[in-house]
Amino acid sequence: MTKERDDSGISRRRFLKEGALAPFALALAAAGGGTVYLRPGEAHGFVLRPPGAIVARRFLAACVRCGKCAQACPYHSIRLQDRGVGIGTPYIAARHTPCYLCPDLPCVKACPSGALDQKTTEVEKVRMGTAQIVDREGCLSIRGLRCEVCYRQCPLIDQAITLEPRHNPRTGEHTIMEPVVHREKCVGCGVCENACVLPKPVIVVRETVEVQRDSYDF
Amino acid sequence: MGLSRRDFIKACAAAAAFAAAGVTTARPEWAEAAEDGITWGKAPCRYCGVGCSVLVGVKGGRIVSTKGDPAGPVNKGLNCIKGYFLSKALYGKDRLTTPLIRKGNRMVEASWDEALDLIAAQYKKAIAEHGPDSVALYGSGQWTIQEGYVASKLMKGGIGTNNLEPNARLCMASAVVAFMNTFGSDEPMGCYDDLDLGDTYVLWGANMAEAHPVLFSRLIDNKLKHPKVKLIDIATRRTRTTKMADEFIAIKPHGDLAALNAIIHVILRDKLYDEAFVAKHVSFKRGKENAPYGLKDKEAFNETPADVKNLTFEEYKALMKPYTPQWAQKVSGIPAAKIEELARVYGDKSRKVNSLWTMGVNQHSRGVWVNNLIYNLHLLTGKICKPGENPLSLTGQPSACGTAREVGTFAHRLPADMVVMNEAHRKKAAGIWGIPAEKIPAKVGLHTVEMFRAIDRGELKCVWIQCTNPFQSLPNLNRVRKAAQSRKAFIVVSDIYPTRSTELADVVLPSASWVEKEGVFGNTERRTQQWFKMVNAPGKAREDVWQLIEFAKRMGHGALFPYPEKGMHRAIFEEYRKFTLGTGKDLAPYGVYAKVRGLRWPVKANGTETRWRYTEADDEHVAKGEGIKFYKAPNNKVSVWFRPYEPPAEVPDRNYPFWFCTGRLLEHWHTGTMTGRVPELRRAVSQATVELHPEDAKRLGIRNRDQVRITSRRGSIVLTAEIGGRGTPERGSVFTTFFDEKKLVNEICIDAFDPLSKEPDFKKCAVKVQKA
Ligand code: SF4
Ligand code: SF4
Ligand code: SF4
Ligand code: SF4
Repeated sequence: MTKERDDSGISRRRFLKEGALAPFALALAAAGGGTVYLRPGEAHGFVLRPPGAIVARRFLAACVRCGKCAQACPYHSIRLQDRGVGIGTPYIAARHTPCYLCPDLPCVKACPSGALDQKTTEVEKVRMGTAQIVDREGCLSIRGLRCEVCYRQCPLIDQAITLEPRHNPRTGEHTIMEPVVHREKCVGCGVCENACVLPKPVIVVRETVEVQRDSYDF
Repeated sequence: MGLSRRDFIKACAAAAAFAAAGVTTARPEWAEAAEDGITWGKAPCRYCGVGCSVLVGVKGGRIVSTKGDPAGPVNKGLNCIKGYFLSKALYGKDRLTTPLIRKGNRMVEASWDEALDLIAAQYKKAIAEHGPDSVALYGSGQWTIQEGYVASKLMKGGIGTNNLEPNARLCMASAVVAFMNTFGSDEPMGCYDDLDLGDTYVLWGANMAEAHPVLFSRLIDNKLKHPKVKLIDIATRRTRTTKMADEFIAIKPHGDLAALNAIIHVILRDKLYDEAFVAKHVSFKRGKENAPYGLKDKEAFNETPADVKNLTFEEYKALMKPYTPQWAQKVSGIPAAKIEELARVYGDKSRKVNSLWTMGVNQHSRGVWVNNLIYNLHLLTGKICKPGENPLSLTGQPSACGTAREVGTFAHRLPADMVVMNEAHRKKAAGIWGIPAEKIPAKVGLHTVEMFRAIDRGELKCVWIQCTNPFQSLPNLNRVRKAAQSRKAFIVVSDIYPTRSTELADVVLPSASWVEKEGVFGNTERRTQQWFKMVNAPGKAREDVWQLIEFAKRMGHGALFPYPEKGMHRAIFEEYRKFTLGTGKDLAPYGVYAKVRGLRWPVKANGTETRWRYTEADDEHVAKGEGIKFYKAPNNKVSVWFRPYEPPAEVPDRNYPFWFCTGRLLEHWHTGTMTGRVPELRRAVSQATVELHPEDAKRLGIRNRDQVRITSRRGSIVLTAEIGGRGTPERGSVFTTFFDEKKLVNEICIDAFDPLSKEPDFKKCAVKVQKA
C-alpha cells in the first residue's frame, strides 16, 4: 500500500494523510470495510450449511470438521463454528458473505466425509435452504418503492425470485413490484439476504419447508 | 404534519382511502416543525431526470431522513432505492471540507482566498498570453439553474469565451439538436401524463426499468390497468425492461438507423400517413450527408442553412424508396415482417402511440438522425401534441433540461433556445445582462470532446470542472487522463468528494451539495422544481454559485453579479426568468416555485402549468381555433428530415470481434461518487461486471464470476463476468456499467461522436474478450 502510487505519482498513504483525496473504494478499504450497519437475518435457529450438505441431523454426525470445504471456497464464504456443540463445523453467514454458487462447486468436491453430498454437481440442484420475505410490511418493494435489489442480485433471477407487479392503490398510478421467492428453484445461497438494503434483512434464508402434497395441480 | 416513518406509512394508506372517497388530506408544507424534532422541507431528488419530489428531514443541523413526497405529482410519495438513501449521500466520511492546492505531488490545505487568488491568477495569465479562448469551464446537468446561469453570464458575458460546456453534452446533446432542427425549440411537447393516457409504447434503446425507475413503475401501472396497452422494447440487450414488456425486438447496434427508415418506407408505401396533418404542418428537408465521426482532432462539420435542401413530399417519398424492410432486415437484424408490423402499429389510427428513448439513441454517432427519424414517424402519422400520444425524449440528469438546455450552458447556446451565432440573440442576452452586445463572442466554443482534446494539444490552458467527473466519464479516457497527468493545463475541480477527477486537479474546491444550498432543477417533462437550503455544508465547503462569483470578482467581472447576499438565488432566477417570458418557455415568479412541487413550463398568465405544448387545448401560445400550431418552427412548419443510413465509426472485425456497450444501473448514480458512499448501495452492487450472452461465454470458456479481459484499440480492463443476470446482451455484444471508479471502463470507449450534436457514442465500439 505504501509503495502503491496513483496516477499523479503521489503515494496513496500520503494522499490519505494529506488531503483525504483517495476515491471511495480505497477510502473504504482503508476504513476497514465499513460494515457496522450490518445485522443478521432472523432465521429461527437455522444454520446455513455449505452446498450439498445432507440433512441437518446427519450432517453434524458426518462432518469430520476438517475445514477442507472452507479452504476450497474462493470467496471465504464458508466459516467454521468457533464455539458450542458444533464447534469446527462449516457454516455460511450469508449476511456477511453468501455463497456465490461456483459452477464446479469446489467446496463439495473437497469434502472427504460425505457430509457434503458428492452427488451434488449442478448448482441449480443445490438446496441449502429457502429464502423468504420475513417482513412484508418492511420490504421496500412491497411498500411501492423501486428497490428489488435482492431480485436483481439473485443468481437465479426470474427463476428463484420473480417480480409480481400489481397496481399500487396508495398512489393510484404506480406499480408495486413484489419480489416473490419460488421454493422449487431457490437454492438458498443467501445472496439476496446479503444484498437486502435494510439494516435487518427482510429476505432471509431459512430451512426449506417440506412440500405438502395434495391433488391440486395449480 | 411531522410524522414518524410508521405514522407516515399509515397516513399514506389512509390517504389512499380518503382519495378514493374524494377527500384531499392535509399535505406537509415546506419546513414544518415536527413532534420528534425533525423539520421537513421539500426538494427534488438529487439524482435522476425523473424528478421525484422528496421531503427532507432535518434535525440538529443534519439530514436525518428523507421520504418520497406524497404531494409530488411525479412520484406521489415513492422513490427508487437511490432516492430512499438520499439522506446518506452527503455524509460519506471523506467529504471535502477545505480547498486544496497542489504542491508538486502533494495536495495541501489552503484558504479560500489562496485558492481563488491562484485560480484567478492562472486564468488571467492564460487570457493575457493566449486570449480568452484558452480558458474553459466544464459544468453539469446536475448544476442548479442558478449555477448554470451564473456560469454562462460569467464566461459568455464576462470573460468573453464560449468555452462553457455541461456534461449533458455526453447525454442529451443529440436530443437537443433534433428538437431544434425539427421543432425550432428544445424539449418535449408531451409529458409524463402520456405514460398514463396512451396505449402503445415503443422503447428505442431505453432501459427504463433501471434508468427511470419510478417513471417505469408508472408506465407499467397503465399496462396493468388497461389490457390494450402494449409495450414494445427494441434494444441490443435484454434487460429488466424487456422482462416487463409485451414484446422484445432485438436489434443490431446502429441498426435503428436502418429500421426506422424502413418503417417510414412502409408508412409511405402503404399510405399510413395522415395526409392532412402533413400538408398543414410539415416541410421536408435533406441535410448534409457523408458525415465524419469526429475521430480526427478539430474535424469540422456543420449543417448550415446553405447545406439544407427543401424537398417536396413526392421527392421525399422517392428518396425513401430504397429503404425497404428487406434491406433493413440485413442491416438491423429485425425481420422484414416485424418492420412491416411496426409500421402498422405506428400507422394504426385506433392506437395512441408513444416513442420513448434515451441514451441508446442519443449516444450514437448518428444520434441526431435517429432522433429525427423517430420524430418523422410521429409527424407523418400525426401522432403528436395529443394527450397520450407523443414522442418523449427521456432525460438522464436532474437538471439536464433545466440547466444545461434551458439556461443553455453549451458552447453554442444562450438562455431560452437562443444561440451565440445569432446577432439578435446576442443582443437580447447582452440587454438583459447589461453589457455591450460585442462582449458576447459569436464564435462557438469548444464542445466537450474537443475541450479535453485541446488540453492534450496544449491549447487550453485552464479548465474549471464543477459538479461532474470527466476523468471517469469521458470516452477514450486514457488520452485525456494522460494529458491531465502531464499537467498540460491548470485544472480546478469543485466537488463534494475525492473522485477520479479531483486526483488530477491542481486545485480542489469543496462544494456544497443539494440541500446544503438553495436551487432549482428542471426535469424531463419541463417541470421546474425549487428547494431551499436546509443544512450547512461541512467545513469550509461553499456552493458553486459562490465560488464562481468570488472568482468573477477577482477577474474584474464582479459587477455582473450585483445580487444581494440574502435572496441571491431568487434574484438570479428572476433575472434568468426575463429570458423566458413571451418565448413559449415562460417560467413563473420564484415565489410560486417555493410553494409548489414544480410546474411544467410554459407557465400561463394565470399561473398554471402547460402539459402539452403547441396545442390550443393546453398551450396559451396557440390561439383558439388554431388546433395544433408549431409556433417555434420557421413558418410554423416542423421539419421531416431525410436521413440516410451511414455505418458506425468502428465495427467488430477479426481482431476485435465483439460490440462493446456501456450504461447505467438502478443502484448507482453516474460515476458513483455519491451512491458509492451509501454503504447499502455499495453492498448491493459493489463492482462493475461485464455481461455476456451465455452462448458467447460458453464458446470462450467463460463462466459466471470469472475474470474477463476486455480490450479495445484504446484500452484494456478486467471485469467479473455476469452471465444470466439482470441483463443479457445479444450474441456478439458485451455490456458493462460506468459507475465503478476502480474500473475506468471508458478507457475502452471510442471518442467518435455525432457530427451534428458532438455527443460521443458510448454504446458501440469493437473489443476482444478473453478469459483473464
Ligand atoms: S459454491 Fe463456491 S462460493 Fe459457494 S460455498 Fe462452495 S466454494 Fe464457496
Ligand atoms: S437464496 Fe436468494 S439469491 Fe439465492 S437463489 Fe434463493 S432467492 Fe436467489
Ligand atoms: S432488497 Fe430487501 S427491501 Fe429490497 S426488495 Fe429485497 S427484500 Fe425488499
Ligand atoms: S433517482 Fe430518479 S427515480 Fe430514483 S428517486 Fe431519484 S428521481 Fe426518483
